[in-house]
Amino acid sequence: MGSKAAITLLRSHEEVRRLWNSPEYPHEYIDAVDASVTFRDAPGDRGTEIHVELERGAPRGKLREAVQKVVGSASLAKVKDDLRRFKQRAETGELPRSEGTPEGERAERKLKQHPAQPLKESELEKAGL
Amino acid sequence: MRANVWSGRNTVQVENVPDPKLLNDRDAIVKITSTAICGSDLHMYDGYIPTMKKGDILGHEFMGEVVEVGRGVSNLQAGDRVVVPFPIACGDCWFCRHELYAACENSNPNGGLAEKMFGHPTAGIFGYSHLTGGYAGGQAEYARVPYADVGPFKVEDDLPDEQVLFLSDIFPTGYMGAEFCEISGGECIAVFGAGPVGQFAIASAVMLGAERVIAIDHVDYRLEMARNKAGATDTINFREDPDVVEQLKLLTGGRGPDAVIDAVGMEAVSGHVPVHAAERLKQAARAETDRGAALRDAILACRPGGIVSIIGAYGGLMDKFPTGALMNKGLSIKTGQCHVQRYLKPLYEHVKAGHIDPSFVVTHRLELGEAPNGYETFKHKEDNCVKVVLKP
Repeated sequence: MGSKAAITLLRSHEEVRRLWNSPEYPHEYIDAVDASVTFRDAPGDRGTEIHVELERGAPRGKLREAVQKVVGSASLAKVKDDLRRFKQRAETGELPRSEGTPEGERAERKLKQHPAQPLKESELEKAGL
Repeated sequence: MRANVWSGRNTVQVENVPDPKLLNDRDAIVKITSTAICGSDLHMYDGYIPTMKKGDILGHEFMGEVVEVGRGVSNLQAGDRVVVPFPIACGDCWFCRHELYAACENSNPNGGLAEKMFGHPTAGIFGYSHLTGGYAGGQAEYARVPYADVGPFKVEDDLPDEQVLFLSDIFPTGYMGAEFCEISGGECIAVFGAGPVGQFAIASAVMLGAERVIAIDHVDYRLEMARNKAGATDTINFREDPDVVEQLKLLTGGRGPDAVIDAVGMEAVSGHVPVHAAERLKQAARAETDRGAALRDAILACRPGGIVSIIGAYGGLMDKFPTGALMNKGLSIKTGQCHVQRYLKPLYEHVKAGHIDPSFVVTHRLELGEAPNGYETFKHKEDNCVKVVLKP
């Protein structure tokens, strides 16, 4: 399993760096694991690339890796969630939420979607909305 | 509110569900006045689209009246009459900035899922499985519209719903299919499928200046509509003669059409009974998700150097895709979910100017509660059904 992930934002290098360091644009999982983060200019008008490399790689041991694959909490999937959520917030100002995925993009949610119909009050509260 | 929900293969039902609420600042709530059943809704009804969940509200062709907007929506206000495009687009990513709205990188909160299937995330779509976001659809009394400052198109003239409703999907989709054909005048275009999208592809090809437009289908009343309403010059019914490629060559003096449009998609039917049976079997056994009868014929019929325009919806993998014909004849493929936002204004102007009246496809008008009957009638092509409009 790879231990690198990358995403491109349609924002200048300086702005991406500034937003990355702002608490309003969290990337908690990447912060919590031992990861190196680098920024590069994308070619042409394509903005700025963010590259993340997990220093110690994905979870050690085949068994743990297999378990995490099944339960959907493998490290790299969470890194990718963080990157997508950061990009969504930085580019659009908000985290897109659907009725199926009211908390926004999350690897753990993939197999446990809410039906695509409006949520009840109690469900909205549970999703923190 | 009442909404039409998917509850398993070949089953939809109208149920009471919670009313939608604003979840983000750029959301709007629309009270729906007209909504339609799309051919691609049948792919979900028939059980060929993965990632459906019981209780999913269907529908991605709708319009209505804005009743509430979030703080981030300054271009709309309560009372505005709007048509809502089926792809949800943020307007801010590289793709949206290049008018490739259906490839929006941000609007699909299940983008990770789409990435696994297609290599990249694709835009969120209303009521169209969890692969495209898990958004509640528009076959309902109300809908929440995300990024409402980008998608919804204000209708300020006094045009009836049925003339502007199809700007949400099938008219721009058909038009984009015709635009792909690079028509400059004098071309011969073959359109596979005379369903609602095919009808608009035909009408658009005529509008763009094609000299001959050949409609291909296996249902007579649809071919009649193609000829009498959409403007097809010739028609082929492959129930009568299944060799579509040969018939197209004869109709074009042996040259083949300059461009072909596939307005059929994953549930294609072959006029060759054994071929169709084999395809059904492979699809049922999940050896393929997409049946290829129409696209294969389209590729084989297209003249060398011609264009293959694919707007029929496909979802996964197809068996026996004719790479040899494609490569050796030097064909170009152009395809995609429609970038609807790009076409709203120009096509609205065509409607307003009277160049086209999109309501010609409507054959059935039902109350929302009749949606299950609407699906059955549309699926089985009963009662000369082409397009069903639902009124909440």
